[in-house]
Amino acid sequence: MLLLGPYLPDIFLFIIGFFLLYYAVVDGYDLGVGILSLRSNEEERSLMMGTLDSIWHSNQTWLVLLGGMMFGAFPLFYAIILSSLYIPIMAMLFAFILRGVAIDFYAKSDRKGLWGFSFGMGSLLATLAQGFALGGLLAGLDVKNGQFVGSIVWSWLNPFSVLVAAGVLFGYIMLGANYLILKTKDELQQRSFRYALASSVLTLMVSVGVYVLLIIRYPNMADKYTSAPGAFYVLLFPALAFFSFVMYFRSLVKRFELAPLLWNVAIILFSFIGVSFGLYPHMIPNVISPTVTVRNAAASVQTLWFMFTFMVVIIPIILIYTGYTNWVFRGKSEGAYGEDGKSH
Amino acid sequence: MDHVFLSRLQFAFTAMFHILWPVFTIGMSLLLFFMEAMWLKTRDDRYYHHARFWTKLFMLNLAVGVVSGIPMEFQFGTNWSKFSVAGGDLFGHLLGFEAAMAFMLEATFLGIMIFGWKRVRPGMHLFSTAMVALGASMSAFWILVANSWMQTPAGGNFRDGRFVIQNNFNAIFNPDMIWGVTHMWVACLEITIFVVGGISAWYIYKKRNAEFFLRSFKIVVVVAILVTPLQIYLGDSSGRSVFHTQPTKLAAIEGHWHTNPPGTGAPWSLVAWPDKEKQDNVFDIKIPYMLSILVTHSLTGQVKGLTDFPVDEQPPVILPYYSFRIMAGIGFLLFFLMLWTCWAWRKGKLNTAEVTRQKWLLYSWMAALPLSYIALEAGWVTREVGRQPWIIYGVLRTQESASNLTASAVGTSLLVFFAIYFVLFVLFVLFARHVILQGPDFESPKS
Repeated sequence: MLLLGPYLPDIFLFIIGFFLLYYAVVDGYDLGVGILSLRSNEEERSLMMGTLDSIWHSNQTWLVLLGGMMFGAFPLFYAIILSSLYIPIMAMLFAFILRGVAIDFYAKSDRKGLWGFSFGMGSLLATLAQGFALGGLLAGLDVKNGQFVGSIVWSWLNPFSVLVAAGVLFGYIMLGANYLILKTKDELQQRSFRYALASSVLTLMVSVGVYVLLIIRYPNMADKYTSAPGAFYVLLFPALAFFSFVMYFRSLVKRFELAPLLWNVAIILFSFIGVSFGLYPHMIPNVISPTVTVRNAAASVQTLWFMFTFMVVIIPIILIYTGYTNWVFRGKSEGAYGEDGKSH
Repeated sequence: MDHVFLSRLQFAFTAMFHILWPVFTIGMSLLLFFMEAMWLKTRDDRYYHHARFWTKLFMLNLAVGVVSGIPMEFQFGTNWSKFSVAGGDLFGHLLGFEAAMAFMLEATFLGIMIFGWKRVRPGMHLFSTAMVALGASMSAFWILVANSWMQTPAGGNFRDGRFVIQNNFNAIFNPDMIWGVTHMWVACLEITIFVVGGISAWYIYKKRNAEFFLRSFKIVVVVAILVTPLQIYLGDSSGRSVFHTQPTKLAAIEGHWHTNPPGTGAPWSLVAWPDKEKQDNVFDIKIPYMLSILVTHSLTGQVKGLTDFPVDEQPPVILPYYSFRIMAGIGFLLFFLMLWTCWAWRKGKLNTAEVTRQKWLLYSWMAALPLSYIALEAGWVTREVGRQPWIIYGVLRTQESASNLTASAVGTSLLVFFAIYFVLFVLFVLFARHVILQGPDFESPKS
């Protein structure tokens, strides 16, 4: 066990990476469904919200888990990111407030239109806020001596972050559409196939653009293309992502119901690993402050050990009961939102 | 106003708003578990109807609690980044534990509890309700552990401005922890009792389903027999713990400026107007020896006064002094209300025919509902303002813990919080009113 000690920061990076991915997928389809609902009539919107009712609380909680784990394992990282991205993070929180109460009030209110619209707008705003925050993060935050010294506005509001935000927006719409393909039928499902195709083409274009810009920006990432073991990994994962895209398009053409969502997850997984390999070990990618790396942003070894033993027990438990809940509500969603005990 | 002040204001406002909601969620989930279990055991449908009715208010409450809770976790990073770095080694992973062990459990099983009535067997549904209740209570546990560590940091030491843990057990079981956790958890039960009791009293008073609500009324009266005196005991123990571990807070709470010389007793101030400039009370009504008796259990026990500490280590005095008296006063009122109700019950006044005539008793229960929430807020003001000027008692000052933000950024977010939370509060009241006016639904459970 002692052998694991020096690798604990990396293990936690891996755990947090897993939480981030899981969150991005499940709340991604949640938010994507919300954005798509903006273009629907009242009846359809109710059906769309009905696909989320039992699961969205759980999905959103992964964000809380992600925040808590990052705070625990990498306090410095947590502090720098959240304080420097103050504006998009606050906007995201406000959007989640709007969206969260809209879902819960929707079933109880007579003004379905108002709450349905709030649900959609909250989803859109939260998505854009996450996109801009990610853009600011990928572009690099100005950090000196463990303190953010950049602009509180321009660090996340720039042409690059606009591109990243567009990518997140299309990506979430794509996830939402694939989720609706799985959960709905007839006309709504057919329309979801079309949305899934259109949004995935846009997502692919933006992703390639973001990836190229990252390589240009970070010599550290570009260097890995020319060194022996690094080149293999940085090339392998984009290649796998591309392959998944091909399989994804095939599954849409064949009108499969579950496969598009699964290939969508594969695309996200491989892209994420690819970019992470490129950036590692600079946790806040930044040319100005190469000092904020995995190791010195981490909590003490004592804390990491304590958290690690805890996480080894709790993560499987979480996955089991989350899996069980998804199983209970499997299959097509048939009722409108808030109709208790929909039949199978 | 500088950005630190605005960040403090924002944290105080968002925390005071947030705490209104989880208390009922925590207490009600336990009560819902009890009702559902009783229904399965006795097959008496009235328990089922109670469970379904109170679930509506539970959900409404939970919705506001969840959305106002997420900003709490993130504000440590956004507004208090220096605190997050300094205390993160302990504080961060406690929040992580809360999310992983408690909140996730609650949020996931909530789906089955609310939407799964016809998808799972009754036993599984009961299990889901139990998991929601367990998650909610564990949530309170971890959050209060984190908060009590800020009051009485233990289990490690500070090196280069960062706390490094040596012993996790000592950090978690810090001196304030047992009182912080129990006092708050019992507060959740107590508030739930007076919310359910107050609403039931209203129905009884209006003669709407009086018999049905007499049942929930009696259930909470029974719980109150246990909870209201227990809370007074826990409050007293908590106060004595504060005396040992946070002397400046205790002195501020009691408006106690001058340490009693050996051989004399410290007086307890009943009403006063503390003045920090003068380092004394401008006006004071005292009970001799009482403070020594209360906190040291001896006539002449020494109680340190505020003037023993440098002015820049003294908390504000007026706020904790009065908020404490409001909280404790309400605690005793609720205890007396419980006694009165038991007396009426014993006299046979709590049956369907008689109870609607007990107007003053019912009015009192309705008034107890807002009072219990006021006690909650007053208690937290005492606890948090009394800890000042420290964010981590004796170690790190609040003034030195904020992120380097611009006042305009924090001011804007604060205004948005004001606006959104005001609207949320109004909406909650409107929806809750709608649920209450609609009343319970007596549709039979489908098996």
